[in-house]
Amino acid sequence: MSHTVAQLLCLVGFSALAFGLRRPQHDILRRSLRRPVVLALRAVGACALLAALAVLVDASGWGFGLVKFSGHTTLAAALVYLALIGYGRRSAMRQ
Amino acid sequence: MPHDQHAKGPGFRQSMSGLHTWTGLLLGWVLYAMFLTGTVSFFKDELSQWMRPELPRLTQPLDPAVVAQRVADEIGRIAPNASQWSIKLPDGRSNTVYAFWRTPGVGKGAPGFGQDYFDPITGHRAEARETLGGDFFYRFHFQFYYMSPFWGRLLAGLAAMSMLVAIVAGVITHKKIFTDFFTFRWGKGQRSWLDAHNALSVFGLPFHVMITYTGLVTLMALYVPWGERTAIKTPAERQQLTAELSAFIRADKPGGDKVPLGSIEAMVRQAQQRWGTTDVGRVNSANPGDATARVAVTRGDAGRVSMSPDYLEFDGVTAKLLKVHDHVGAAAETRGVLYALHIGRFSDLETRWLYFIVSFMGTAMVGTGLVMWTVKRRQKLPDPERPFFGFRLVERLNIASIAGLSIAMTAFLWANRLLPNAMADRAFWEIHVFFIVWGLTLLHALLRPAKSAWVEQLWTAAALLALIPVLNAATTQRPLWHSLASGDWVFAGIDLMCVALALLHAVLAIRTARNSARLRPPRSASKRGGIPAMSREAAT
Repeated sequence: MSHTVAQLLCLVGFSALAFGLRRPQHDILRRSLRRPVVLALRAVGACALLAALAVLVDASGWGFGLVKFSGHTTLAAALVYLALIGYGRRSAMRQ
Repeated sequence: MPHDQHAKGPGFRQSMSGLHTWTGLLLGWVLYAMFLTGTVSFFKDELSQWMRPELPRLTQPLDPAVVAQRVADEIGRIAPNASQWSIKLPDGRSNTVYAFWRTPGVGKGAPGFGQDYFDPITGHRAEARETLGGDFFYRFHFQFYYMSPFWGRLLAGLAAMSMLVAIVAGVITHKKIFTDFFTFRWGKGQRSWLDAHNALSVFGLPFHVMITYTGLVTLMALYVPWGERTAIKTPAERQQLTAELSAFIRADKPGGDKVPLGSIEAMVRQAQQRWGTTDVGRVNSANPGDATARVAVTRGDAGRVSMSPDYLEFDGVTAKLLKVHDHVGAAAETRGVLYALHIGRFSDLETRWLYFIVSFMGTAMVGTGLVMWTVKRRQKLPDPERPFFGFRLVERLNIASIAGLSIAMTAFLWANRLLPNAMADRAFWEIHVFFIVWGLTLLHALLRPAKSAWVEQLWTAAALLALIPVLNAATTQRPLWHSLASGDWVFAGIDLMCVALALLHAVLAIRTARNSARLRPPRSASKRGGIPAMSREAAT
């Protein structure tokens, strides 16, 4: 259960962090987001990742929790990356 | 300005870029093989089960105390003169009991060594085909084959050190590590390869650093022995060092009084009271059958992120608890934690999958780095149809190391199913098949045009992998549909994983072939930068 919750939180976190970057904003939204929005996205992203760490440490302790956190963050970042590539390809094909 | 730059020489970042490129390339093929076999090794016990299909899966958890007694009795019958034995008890991931034993040498002869797998239900030797199973990939990962373990481990250490240097240099080289975090520019040739390489490197960066550094730590005594040699001088100090690092107890010289070993079951029961029913890893005995016998019952790997010895030491005759070894010094514990992080045996199933996935990304990181070397240089070749020798060498080695290794590893599984069970040295022939096939892929890569070699080898790997479930169904009583219906997730998982990997190889083959085809007609197309890099790689 903790694995699922942590993975979902990491996905939310990296999605927010991705939208806090200029290139994904332009690729998907076709515009730049305002500075306060970007800062809010970064804060949400960081908090979601910290929440994932808290869930894992609470469930498994610091030793196991940190190892699992490292794995979940990598997997979530890769999934967000693949989703962005997939979205970009679909948009390119439509055009 | 260019003149000034020339006079000053390359900048720091430029120097790091060069260092990254060459440390990554020179042992890159070795690193790729180490990474891929290491990745597979996270499931080595499951692979070993799949490679011994005669042995039924364990549907009920067994009591380690009862199993330990059974196998100890059997070893007592097989090797009554053993001076030492060690039994690795079954856990949720294996259906056999591995044990080894040493026998004293006769006269001036060398001490003997025996090992085997045992059926945990009967305690007798397991009746299965002779194979190293997943242990082959595990051992190859850090000591290779056809060379002494000493030189193999030195080579592995050199490769790991190169990897560590390449990682640090790569981080320094990568200027926009955060702003380019999610960047992938599709169809931009070299730029696309670089984006993919960066993503694979940066997402798993903590893991890549950890796995490389801890890999060096596992064999640090071999790589930097001087500190130990300086500090440890007497046999007593050496014994103390051994006690800090392993649970292999050193018994006194045998007294010669033959006394039967006490109840192993009772000793394991005491350990279970301390650690829980299933958290028992090994039972080791020194001087079994002698009045001086000692037995160590070690804790399992599941409950802690550490490989430091944690065991109970018993009088082997009376089963009386003599000593509890549950802590080591700070330095030994640091080593134990780093060692455990590297091999990940503490992992539950989900964490093991995370290890596998991130390690697979590490393999892809090395692979994309290798391919990028040729992609980058192809653009600068005066005549791409006639590249220089070094380029051709790297290009062909890339094909055999990346696509060829997939074929060789799959051929190892095919050999496991097709070689006759009664064949002499069967386990070694499985390994010979692996290397013969790998050698043939190199020959193929040397003889064929590069693009054809890439496509043909990727398709071959895809076909061999996709047919693994068919081969398994044809040669065993445990086809995929039966495994799925009976909930045999080890067999079903490996069959399905082979299909998934077949799809991956097929996609790569199709993309390489399509891009190569697209490259041919209008030569101006290549100037638009719209051709993914493997096509350029495959263009000769």
